[in-house]
Amino acid sequence: MSVLSKLANVDSRVFYWILFIALMVPFLSPIGFPITIAENTRELYEGITEDEVNEGDVWIMNFGYGVSAWPECHPSVTVCTKALFREGAKIIFMGPHYDVELTYNKIHDTVREDFANKVYGEDYVFLGYITGGESAIAQLASNIRSVYPTDHFGTPLDQIPMMQGVNTHEDIAGVLSSDTGDYGVHFMTQWQAAYGSKLAEIGIAMNGSTDLPRWQAGNYFGLSIGSRGGAELEILIGELGEATTAMDSISVSHLLLIFAVILGNIGMVVQRRSS
Amino acid sequence: MSQILRREAIYALTGLVTVLMLLEYFFWPTAQPWAETIRTWAIIVFNISLGLGAIRLLMQQSMNVQKRRENWQYSAMLLSLFVVMLLTGFAGYFATGLQTSNGIYNWLFINIYTPLGATLYPITGFYIFSAAYRAFRARNVDAALMLIAGCFVMLKNAPVGEAIWIGFATIGNWFQFTGQIPGMRTFSIVGALGLIAYGFRALMGKERGFYAGGE
Repeated sequence: MSVLSKLANVDSRVFYWILFIALMVPFLSPIGFPITIAENTRELYEGITEDEVNEGDVWIMNFGYGVSAWPECHPSVTVCTKALFREGAKIIFMGPHYDVELTYNKIHDTVREDFANKVYGEDYVFLGYITGGESAIAQLASNIRSVYPTDHFGTPLDQIPMMQGVNTHEDIAGVLSSDTGDYGVHFMTQWQAAYGSKLAEIGIAMNGSTDLPRWQAGNYFGLSIGSRGGAELEILIGELGEATTAMDSISVSHLLLIFAVILGNIGMVVQRRSS
Repeated sequence: MSQILRREAIYALTGLVTVLMLLEYFFWPTAQPWAETIRTWAIIVFNISLGLGAIRLLMQQSMNVQKRRENWQYSAMLLSLFVVMLLTGFAGYFATGLQTSNGIYNWLFINIYTPLGATLYPITGFYIFSAAYRAFRARNVDAALMLIAGCFVMLKNAPVGEAIWIGFATIGNWFQFTGQIPGMRTFSIVGALGLIAYGFRALMGKERGFYAGGE
């Protein structure tokens, strides 16, 4: 068996080690490949800044992702939270994922400076975990208090200054849904399609192909896809963070993946010819 | 209740709810209070199902341990961790008055669950890498075309692609916006039409599984 034909049957563990070592390099010594901004990301950023947001507008930030998707979704959510706060908007944090509290605590870490100038109950509120799937999202549009009589800490919504007069989709300026599954679509069918609410999606890279048609069709005014979207938003706001750092690793891993595919195919062709 | 009556009752209930929801969504916004009530019931049923799911899970896993079925050790681990989380949750609540925010429960979550959760997802990258090497083989023209398109889209998504050659982004975008997005739109539209057809069939009583648990 020639060396080339052996390429078709390299042990998996060899690839694991190659990938592990290759991913270490950019973290130890960042390369800094230039990143261009996709149109869907730019539209998301423009939709939550300047003239698109008025001071005092109430926005919903939906945490539909868990700890495992933090690297993909959280950088974008961080930038969007910063942008909304800096425009003077108020934010309702909530989520259908059981990790919602952990994510809420994390956003306090990653947006620490902006939270320092904001007051709980006046500038932002945390409603917590929601169950009930699409029915609950539909119900939120017509009566927030029927789903959340209190915030996460047990305070009745009527006693929270920011929530005075906020109870239906009409009182919400926009929704940013960050999720790994269906919640962007639930908001699309129950809020955007039904009432024309402003909606954007922050999704994982794997869902990019299903989310892009919805952005193109105008259901989402903007769309951030995976950590690449997060890196693009970090560039737009001018504060580079963990997504930009991760981009070098993504470059290396993608190159290695293509290299592995080419290697496997060379091995296959040589094996076929020799047999 | 006889089988027929049971089936008729489900027909009637499903039909009533469907018609009300359709009317409220498309034609009759004043029906909102009724629709809201039904949605609240749905949310309550959803929450009850979570509790039922937990009970069912415990019963199934307990049985695995009791009968020493294959991999029963994992079931034992699940049961013990379930008890630990439940007890720490209650202990933290009684000690501090806080629910999931209490320190004891949070400590377990932050120091055990969070690192495990964060590790689980990236590990798949290693499997994808190995699987790509083994499975992405250009065995015929169709597979070769898919591979080439996939490589261009990958090089478009990774910043290194544009650094090597700006054309990778252009070609990757062409594949995505000319090939993939129209395909996804077709899937979405066909799926939605299928869902409507399924809804009608269910309402007409032609989807037996919907009413009688597959009987």
